[in-house]
Amino acid sequence: MKPKSLFICALIIKLSAFNAQTSEFLIPSDAVTVFSINNISLLQKISVEELITYEFMEEVHQELFDGSTTGKTLKDLGLDFDQKLNVIYGKGLRNEISGFSFGVKSTKQLFDVFDDFQLVHKDYHGAQVYGSFFNNLIIKDKAALLIRVEPTMEFIDQMTDSIWYSRGNESPFGNFPENAAEDGAVMDEKVYDENTELSEFPQASEDPNVKNYYELRDSVQLLIQRKEIDILLHELFEKKQNLITSDSRFATQIQHNSEGVFYLDNSRNLEKAKGLWYFQTILPTLYQDIKELYTGNVILGDMYLKENSVEFVLNACYGEKLGSIYQEMNDSRFDKNVLKYIPASSTGYFTYNVDLRKAYEKAFEVIMPILMDEKNAQIAMNVLTLELLNEYINKDALFGTYKGSMFGFFNGVKKIKTKKIEFFYNEETFEYGERQAEADEDMPIFALGLSIDRTDIPEKIMKHLSRLTSKIKNMGDYWRMDNAILDAAPVFLINKNGLLILTNDEDLAVNHFDGYGKEKLAGINAKKAKKSGFMYGSIDISETLNRFPTDLLSPEQNEMIQALKGKSGKLELTSGETTSTHTTFDLKYVYEGQESSAKHLLDLINTIYVVSK
Amino acid sequence: MYKLIVFLIIALFGLSSCIEIIDDLTIRNDGSGTFKYTINLSSSKIKVNSILALDSIDGKKVPRIDEIKQKIDQFVKTLDSQNGISNVKLEENFSEYIFKFQCDFANVSALQTALKQTILIVSKEKSLPQLDYNWLTWDGNKLVRSIPEITERKISEINLNDIELLKKGTYTSITRFEREVDKFENTFAQLSKSKMAVMIKTDVYRLKENQNVLENTIYLSTGKN
Repeated sequence: MKPKSLFICALIIKLSAFNAQTSEFLIPSDAVTVFSINNISLLQKISVEELITYEFMEEVHQELFDGSTTGKTLKDLGLDFDQKLNVIYGKGLRNEISGFSFGVKSTKQLFDVFDDFQLVHKDYHGAQVYGSFFNNLIIKDKAALLIRVEPTMEFIDQMTDSIWYSRGNESPFGNFPENAAEDGAVMDEKVYDENTELSEFPQASEDPNVKNYYELRDSVQLLIQRKEIDILLHELFEKKQNLITSDSRFATQIQHNSEGVFYLDNSRNLEKAKGLWYFQTILPTLYQDIKELYTGNVILGDMYLKENSVEFVLNACYGEKLGSIYQEMNDSRFDKNVLKYIPASSTGYFTYNVDLRKAYEKAFEVIMPILMDEKNAQIAMNVLTLELLNEYINKDALFGTYKGSMFGFFNGVKKIKTKKIEFFYNEETFEYGERQAEADEDMPIFALGLSIDRTDIPEKIMKHLSRLTSKIKNMGDYWRMDNAILDAAPVFLINKNGLLILTNDEDLAVNHFDGYGKEKLAGINAKKAKKSGFMYGSIDISETLNRFPTDLLSPEQNEMIQALKGKSGKLELTSGETTSTHTTFDLKYVYEGQESSAKHLLDLINTIYVVSK
Repeated sequence: MYKLIVFLIIALFGLSSCIEIIDDLTIRNDGSGTFKYTINLSSSKIKVNSILALDSIDGKKVPRIDEIKQKIDQFVKTLDSQNGISNVKLEENFSEYIFKFQCDFANVSALQTALKQTILIVSKEKSLPQLDYNWLTWDGNKLVRSIPEITERKISEINLNDIELLKKGTYTSITRFEREVDKFENTFAQLSKSKMAVMIKTDVYRLKENQNVLENTIYLSTGKN
């Protein structure tokens, strides 16, 4: 964009920020993730009861869950459907915010539902501020922000400890038994509760005017929460600072006229990444360098609702240094051999096409100077080790064996033969004995393959391993490893046509070691995989995702899968160009059935909310 | 790569595995006896192995094999120290996942008290209402039995969504005596040719739906063999 256009753009944004107070101008600059729905008229028929079942409603839903919403739709809430509905989430070092901003057509209807809110500020720079137990409702002109601001536990603890110790108190945890099991492992909550008598918790102090540690912490939490709300109000209405004024990328994105707009500032997520605390505290300059490398790491997206499909266009932006590594990595030719080994019948497959050698060289070039600048003995030793490894390791052999490109597919569930022990009974006495019998167990059939130049290296490894155990056998065109999966089922290794394929599909190993021939992925589907950038994925939802037993997943993953479960259709991920500043992705969900677009839209918002949280 | 393979298997696994339980009770004429309890998971080896490869499932920690062994050991030692219980034995087969437990008891009351005490100690619960009732009554000529409480409790916790899995699982309850059986009340029960053992076999689904399916009152012939 030229400087002149940028200036006009900024001017328009600035002017509109002062003149009109629509919902998007109530998005606090602390928001890290925003999902903005432009065309919310399609949500009119969604019932509030249905809405509050979504996780993105979790933090604020108790306001809507007190009976005042029974039988009401979003339309009955007095919402202005001509304005955007913005779902907001952000977690920083001090606080966590979550909520919505939306247009208001009728404040009377709105307060019929939000009937627990009390007026806090009648006129705060033109805004009315209401508060309920946890949440705040802020109305300015025809827009409202329903928000919860929670101080982070780390910040509360830090402030409480500071006050507690400055008053000359000793450690409040001295009275407690060690929160550890005999072996030193930290107990989980249930075990801790079981092992801790209630009487072991501190009693209220003798002087009722002196607070114990936990009373002090509660007070600190309350005060910080109030302070954080004050800061938020100050920024929004006095300084007139919101996400649009503080981030031009969001300002541009929010103007798109797609059905939904997505924003995720990954660089701010880096600050809260717990794994980086060591760098933050011990190696602050290195942390600054890493942060700089990560600057500009933002994901922007547009969502388009079409007849029977939802399309999500994502733009992953990053700084030029990091971008130069991605650009080198993704500058790789598609390995056509891959297509021979993906059967047309596969219900889920992906291709991933990168050049690790080029990425390595570039990363070495970009990251080593950062590390070399660090004046720290441990880092200096690590730099020396890396330099030596770089000199001595045969990179041709290493990257010739693992080039980086890979593919995989899921080919349904097949019965495989295993052995089991069964009991048989003597009819005379009902005494029983054991005997071995054949059992059929369902096994998901899959294959994972890597592009390879040095086919001789895996051959060497397999040859030597087969001398160690009879479970590994050379079958001529492939290797067979008995009981390799969970001590029960065989795995096959095919090392042909520049691909190293690991599979549990006996049919692939025995009958298709040279590829699937006429049964291979072909036509438009093959073309899509070939023409996609560095990655392509396709999943038939009913045949693949619906088989996921969700009890094996974490609650977050579960939520994500649940959003798509029970549906039919196809999910397709395509990557576009990778430049030094961004990579584009296109996620398309083509669905069948009668469910409304609004339901699909909410499902997707929820999925993305869960993923980005 | 191994973890990825395991994840793929677990994630895509059809819930087709099954369990086989045999509870085998021998009552001698003097009221003492032997209790045997066998769990056979060999036809679900892949699933059990895949679950054991996980750190947690459904938000709950998956125990390591050594932790399972430790817990079983604790159960055996605790039971062995209870009044009226002797010869506690456990056979573990961790490659086929078959576990065979057996103990001798002085009388059915001692067996029930010992099992209750042991379950309370091992589970670290102060009380378990499920343990309040007795599953065995013996008066010398008549045995009234259902199934051990712990089994009932665990079966009732199984998710009904896995109906197919439950239908493949079997529960066999065998009661043996030193003299012939005269009659019994459960119509699903079978009498051995020797007439000294009664067996009821059901699937876990039927058992979950109707926990009385294994209840039986067995009358013995009055003349001692």
